[in-house]
Amino acid sequence: MTAWLLRRLAAGIAIIFAVVTLTFVAVHLAPGDPFLPADGRPMDPAAVARLRTAYGLDRTLLEQYGRYLVALGRGELGQSFSRRRPVAAAIGSALPNTVLLAGAALLIDFACGIAIGVFQAARVRRRSDVALTNLTLFFYSLPTFWLGMVLLLLFSQWLHWLPVGGAIDPVLHDALPLGGRLLDRLRHLVLPALTLGLVGAGGTARFQRAALLEALGQDYVRTARAKGLAERTVLVRHALRDALLPVISLLGLALPFLLTGAVLVETVFAWPGLGKLAADAILARDYPLVLGTVLVASLAVVVGSLVADLLTVAADPRIRLSG
Amino acid sequence: MTALSWLVLAAIVAWAIALVQWSRRRARRARRDDARRFFRHPSAAAGLALLAVLVTVALCAPLVAPYRPSQQLDIIALQSRPPDWLHPLGTDLYSRDVWSRLVYGARVSLGVGTLGMLVAVTLGGMVGAAAGYFRGWVDGVLMRLVDVGLSVPRIFLVLGAIAVWERLRIASLIVLLGLTGWFATARIVRAEVLTLRERPFTDAARSLGAGSWRIIARHIIPNAAAPLIVSAALGIGNMMLLEAGLSFLGVGIQPPEPSWGNMIADGRDLLTSAPWISLFPGLAIALSVMALHAVADALRDALDPRTTRLS
Amino acid sequence: MITLPRVPRCIAVAVLIACTTSACSRAGGCRDEYCGTLVFAGVGEVTALLPPVSDASVDRDVYDQIFLRLADLTPDGGTIGDSGFVPQLAQRWEWTDPLTLVFHLDPRARWQDGPPVTAEDVAFTFAAYTDTAVNSADRGTLLAHIASVTAQDSLTALFHFRDRYPEMFYDAVFHMRILPAHLLRNVPLATWRTAEFGRAPVGAGPYRFVRWTPGQSLELAADSGFYLGRPHLRRLIWRFASDLNVAITQVVAGEADAIEVLLSPTNIERARNSGHLTLYSYPGPTYTFLRFNLRADGDSLRPHPIFADRDVRRALVLATDRARMCQSVFSGNAKVPPGPIPQSWSWLWVPQLTVPSYDSAQAARLLAARGWRDSDGDGVRDRGGRKLSFHLSVPSTSPPRVQYAQLLQEALKAVGVEVVIDQMEPATLQERLRAGGFDAALETWFADPSPASAAPGIWGSHGPSNFGHYASPAFDRQVAAAASATTPDAARTSWIAAFGTLDQDAPGIMLFSVDNIAAVDSRVTDVQIRPDSWWALVRTWRIPPDKLNERDRVGG
Repeated sequence: MTAWLLRRLAAGIAIIFAVVTLTFVAVHLAPGDPFLPADGRPMDPAAVARLRTAYGLDRTLLEQYGRYLVALGRGELGQSFSRRRPVAAAIGSALPNTVLLAGAALLIDFACGIAIGVFQAARVRRRSDVALTNLTLFFYSLPTFWLGMVLLLLFSQWLHWLPVGGAIDPVLHDALPLGGRLLDRLRHLVLPALTLGLVGAGGTARFQRAALLEALGQDYVRTARAKGLAERTVLVRHALRDALLPVISLLGLALPFLLTGAVLVETVFAWPGLGKLAADAILARDYPLVLGTVLVASLAVVVGSLVADLLTVAADPRIRLSG
Repeated sequence: MTALSWLVLAAIVAWAIALVQWSRRRARRARRDDARRFFRHPSAAAGLALLAVLVTVALCAPLVAPYRPSQQLDIIALQSRPPDWLHPLGTDLYSRDVWSRLVYGARVSLGVGTLGMLVAVTLGGMVGAAAGYFRGWVDGVLMRLVDVGLSVPRIFLVLGAIAVWERLRIASLIVLLGLTGWFATARIVRAEVLTLRERPFTDAARSLGAGSWRIIARHIIPNAAAPLIVSAALGIGNMMLLEAGLSFLGVGIQPPEPSWGNMIADGRDLLTSAPWISLFPGLAIALSVMALHAVADALRDALDPRTTRLS
Repeated sequence: MITLPRVPRCIAVAVLIACTTSACSRAGGCRDEYCGTLVFAGVGEVTALLPPVSDASVDRDVYDQIFLRLADLTPDGGTIGDSGFVPQLAQRWEWTDPLTLVFHLDPRARWQDGPPVTAEDVAFTFAAYTDTAVNSADRGTLLAHIASVTAQDSLTALFHFRDRYPEMFYDAVFHMRILPAHLLRNVPLATWRTAEFGRAPVGAGPYRFVRWTPGQSLELAADSGFYLGRPHLRRLIWRFASDLNVAITQVVAGEADAIEVLLSPTNIERARNSGHLTLYSYPGPTYTFLRFNLRADGDSLRPHPIFADRDVRRALVLATDRARMCQSVFSGNAKVPPGPIPQSWSWLWVPQLTVPSYDSAQAARLLAARGWRDSDGDGVRDRGGRKLSFHLSVPSTSPPRVQYAQLLQEALKAVGVEVVIDQMEPATLQERLRAGGFDAALETWFADPSPASAAPGIWGSHGPSNFGHYASPAFDRQVAAAASATTPDAARTSWIAAFGTLDQDAPGIMLFSVDNIAAVDSRVTDVQIRPDSWWALVRTWRIPPDKLNERDRVGG
């Protein structure tokens, strides 16, 4: 177990290292200069050159890479060009929002997904099953940002039930009592989380239904049925326990999906999270911030898949860790 | 929209339904199990018909679309008009006919999806086969590469790559989508190959003196085709969604070429006043991806008997 | 696990909701004349609030409430001489000799942490703005004419100029916001870009910095002891949105109170239909044009195969129905400028300068006369095996320019010219422009109040932003004459001549200058907007006590 964990950790570090290197090369080769003025403003070429020197961009790519790695080794992510703050601080203020959003989305994703999948498996091939199959497939097939736009239009702009964007109300939030503050957060969270969660739930439900049906065909389930147990008991006690395993492994894979969707959804809902930070950083050619966000994102993915593996093991004593 | 284009559209729908009915009948009579299993899937026929309509419409775009997709009809009088008989899906901000753009957009979106997927599946198939067949250090290196690729959220990869690629043309977008989309396929194929390479026919081929690549090409890949085809069908859908996302961010298909993604982006600021501009392309994406998934599911059932009873 | 019985759980939820709603109404402490809270919907994010090192436009919106200039432009003030200016930190000023300008500071002016504003601060500010380590964008402009700034005594600052010219006063006051020397002297100049001060600034203006939540919002509070009069609005809050559409949605939904530009007719319509917004129109400080690169794409030593020819450029101008495009994109909220002229230079919108009318037949004749004919029948003209086809670079983040690119593409297609649109990220476009790697590009410029500091840089032979390499000795001469004219009338005559030359040479197609339209919640009264900086007079805006809403009262 320890050896397995160590190997996984080493592999994880190697993966992150490779991702950082690739991103470093890509972002530095990209056209555009972080210090050119915004569109339509005059510029002093000498001023731009001085800034490039001040941030070490006049050195060779290899030298810059070396310096970046050395700093990284000391745990420093550098200074963001556009945010004028340490990259760690910029990420630190965006990360909690993304974790909140991804967490809520994950909850909606798996709660709805598993529930629908189980419901369908219990009524396989009936009309409700077919209808739900099509419905989940529909959600799974939607472009997330489009669903976000439509939900925003419906619930915020037409019905005025929910706020149109942001994470909190900037004026009222601090004046509210604790309950009110929670409610304020919740109201802002609902639409972006629903957008990400519903699309994910479509996939999870399909997966859960398939896994459960497979489990229902196993010998031990037949045995249980033969013993005369109620169908409901068979389904929940025996089959579901088995069929949750593959779904748990899906959990780790859901993370990159959530982060990908987050870039677009955070833009639509003005959600101050990591996805928007990354997109802005790419647009501004803010090299250290791009690298920092990609680092954190890949770290999350690596840890996510590790946790999923550990959960699978914990849930199923038959699986032993090796290799 | 002219009577002719309505007629052609009706003809295409009729032809798609007839095609599916005919193949279903043939499948029922066929001796092969897989063809029959394919149509046993509840949504297979509908998905296939929808795909047939989409593909035919895309191919016959000039007949179905009354206007050129970039034709600006009247940039003042016909801006953002709601749907009516002449413009069944309305017009956009540039007074272009949304229906015509949707039709031509099918070419771009399906084309980019399909070609991008071909690049991805080819690459993924080759890498997966090589890793699974040669094992050892080849496997180690290739699979770590796959791990790296899977660890970065895909959109970061594509955004970064697009930043490097300057004037982005459709061809480079396809290559980009392909190059960043093969990782999962490689994993699936590798797993399949690992089991195949221990099978007797591989040994037989090897003892007859066939070279490694020949064995891979002639014996391994054809037998690993089932998961490859399924992942390809799913892949087209994912590519289309990704293309839409990129076009939405303004870095995908360049105007005036219509793609469903940049049509949504075009209508984004007008969502409250002229929702038809982005609503219809959004639905078009959803329907095509749904159709692809339905067909992929049915294919899985057909090609992989182990999971037949799942649907 | 704690499980609540069914009924109490419902009650708990009800109590929670009751708590929140009652809290909102209870917290309404503030009820008088000075209670208003204004939420601005800002596009983009603040980078830093230290004027010489800030560069985002939203930075300027915010720091102009915190820092003051020595004197400020009046709403319709000109930039020649000092008649267009009103006192701010300086109470009065005089010329002791033709090259020495003396400012007498207002003795009531105080930094928000207590000490008075002194002439030392003024000298310190000039030193900082012109230091290479600080690297301010205004450094070049300031050093071009001003030799030094010194403190004669604590309330008297002396500006020594190198030469005499009409806009001396403008240059002395417009570019610099006075900074507190006592707080910044010990901050090494090279670290100003990332200095803590830029995240929690202290100034002498009407508003104090309160807090800034990165990516979300920024809050300022009125300085009740402000020496030019207590601001009526108690709090200014900026909410940051990533794009204009999201920002406008917030204003329309009532989650923000004001936005400075609506831009498209759709947005204006949305604001008008919302029922709670009042629209204010003011002349915009920008103009947008298509720039021809007169040198070859990527090789600034060779002439451009198409655009080096003046007649071809003129033909393309004639083939563009600018009035119709402007109507299509802005439906009456923008004008086609008769030169590189934003609406804010209202004194240059004169009948002598006119927009040449659309004439595609004449354009076709001109092109044919220059040898561009469609010899192979593919719909695109050609000459000697080269197609009349060019790439048009557009920033993907600007909806009006993306829209114009497609309108131009269709319009030019009608006269046999092929346009390939290259949408790119703004950063990429900037680099291409500066490297000369483009055929034609759609650019927007934010113009200073003074044409003398704005036009030569973009169109003059040696202008740092003359990316198309247009060079006309006549134009340069006329601009120089205009910049040294001593009366507004003389300046105007020279500018008309200069822009006439530009029109003849057609180094670009002038497309539009917008009327900016701001939307402000209708409960706000006394809204005054200054064209060069719409937020500059916010301290005079007011929300009457009977119109205060929950946001205004809360936390009072």
